[in-house]
Amino acid sequence: MNLRNITADKLVALYRNRDLTVTEVITNVYDEIERTDGDVRAFISLCRDRAVEEARRMDVKIAAGEPLESLAGVPVAIKDNMAIRDMTTTCGSRILQSYIPPYTSTAVERLRSAGAIVIGKTNCDEFAMGSSTENSGFFVTRNPHKLDCVPGGSSGGSAASVASGTSLIALGSDTGGSIRTPASFCGVVGIKPTYGRVSRYGLVAFASSLDQIGPLAKTVRECAQTLEAICGFDHFDSTSADTAVPNFVKNLDQPIKGTRIGIPKEYFVPGLDAQVKAKIEAGMRVYQDLGCELHEISLPHTEFAVATYYLIATAEASSNLARYDGVRYGLREAGNASLQEMYRRTRHNGFGKEVKRRILLGTYALSAGYYDAYYLKALKVRTLILRDFQKAFEQVDVILTPTSPTVAFKIGEKTGDPLSMYLSDIFTITLNLAGLPGISVPCGQNSEGLPVGMQLMSNHFEEALLLSVAHHYEKAGGFVV
Amino acid sequence: MKISEGDVEYVAKLAMLEVADDEKKELAEQLSRIVEYVQKLNELDVSGIEPTAQVVTSVKHAVRDDRVVPRTGSSDAARSVKLFKVPKVITER
Repeated sequence: MNLRNITADKLVALYRNRDLTVTEVITNVYDEIERTDGDVRAFISLCRDRAVEEARRMDVKIAAGEPLESLAGVPVAIKDNMAIRDMTTTCGSRILQSYIPPYTSTAVERLRSAGAIVIGKTNCDEFAMGSSTENSGFFVTRNPHKLDCVPGGSSGGSAASVASGTSLIALGSDTGGSIRTPASFCGVVGIKPTYGRVSRYGLVAFASSLDQIGPLAKTVRECAQTLEAICGFDHFDSTSADTAVPNFVKNLDQPIKGTRIGIPKEYFVPGLDAQVKAKIEAGMRVYQDLGCELHEISLPHTEFAVATYYLIATAEASSNLARYDGVRYGLREAGNASLQEMYRRTRHNGFGKEVKRRILLGTYALSAGYYDAYYLKALKVRTLILRDFQKAFEQVDVILTPTSPTVAFKIGEKTGDPLSMYLSDIFTITLNLAGLPGISVPCGQNSEGLPVGMQLMSNHFEEALLLSVAHHYEKAGGFVV
Repeated sequence: MKISEGDVEYVAKLAMLEVADDEKKELAEQLSRIVEYVQKLNELDVSGIEPTAQVVTSVKHAVRDDRVVPRTGSSDAARSVKLFKVPKVITER
């Protein structure tokens, strides 16, 4: 059974009506992975025994007529930078190849409490540093729509798994677009919630002030269901927001007539692919037909976002990744070396090229003599970017942009030029700097059949509005893969 | 702003990274390009602007009650490795 033609709601209904057993579905998922994942390579590790055991238990519950959770028996995939007890958590890095965490991340724990069954962990750029999943320390994941293209990154394995039907829902993490870009490239929905909305406990830190966990799925409704399950205060994360979580699913159909949608002119620049632009403009017309108002707005500091982001994110990363010293986690390269040499050798052999490059850049930006010129300056520009959005949200409710300036690019196309890879994040990183929520929804395909993603952004904690605006678009014949 | 191979070496030392000789040149070039690009921020006047290290969305301080709650213990943490062993830290001269 391929999951491409079914949604979580329908699957749970089939279970409830005893048309299908959870065991059948989970077993079939693994058969499907065996059949197709050799090409796509979305998964780093699988947990078949545990998943089948959970499925059996769920079937017993169903047979006994017990009430079912919202995601009962739904097969989910987890990006391999979230800790799950008794499963390797590699972060796509050789330095953590054999690391088995002694605890489970809050987001995964909550997803399990909602009945979901984890089937495996997905590939990603090493420590989530990348936009294409080519930086994985193990292998490259391919775009299910076209195998010689990247799936986007860094949550590329999660997006590819949902798009190829080997999981129904997946969790990703988004530091600069790592949920939204792969969602866009693989033709699925992906949402990055407000900073603080989902606990980061158990998410391996890349840039702590930017990282946020969120779901990827084929439909907005499934993203809403997943968010409802994973959001909310967690005292294990000191930045977790103690804010009420609305009923996202119930809110999906709230009327959106009269919603003010801002179109920032800075996102429609010469580098924007003509076919992507045409699809986004078609998306705007759908909203006009739905009775929304379109307003041209300005986010004047947009062009400074990439520079700001790559200073802040690398500075935080250089500090966060100092913990990989060969003592506490996974790999150790020692021999008869001294302590210092052990640190250096372990980090040399364990980290890939991009991770080293970012640690070096971040260390440079924080080093004596450069702190004010680079890091502090970037923090100040971050304030300007945040203010841009604050001003914009006084005029409009939602902002609409392309998710990425292009469709999925060819594998190997940008690996030799880190800066060109960084610039591909231009439309997604502003939100992380401002801590705002954003969603990418499919809005058609280009002439080669590659998906285009449309990004919607809203004010802090306005995910309910964001999801409903996206849901109306999807329903209005927007586009569902 | 040009980053030299010497700069790469120095920063690598700070970051406890080993960089092979053949990597140095490539890294110096790549980092130079990136650092050159981020000079873009100098076009902006940020005097009087407060830095934003974190977009604080929660108004509540995350302080918990001083109460013992069961959590992952050190025995659990060391389950896979039994103990944390490191090379000799103090060496004779």
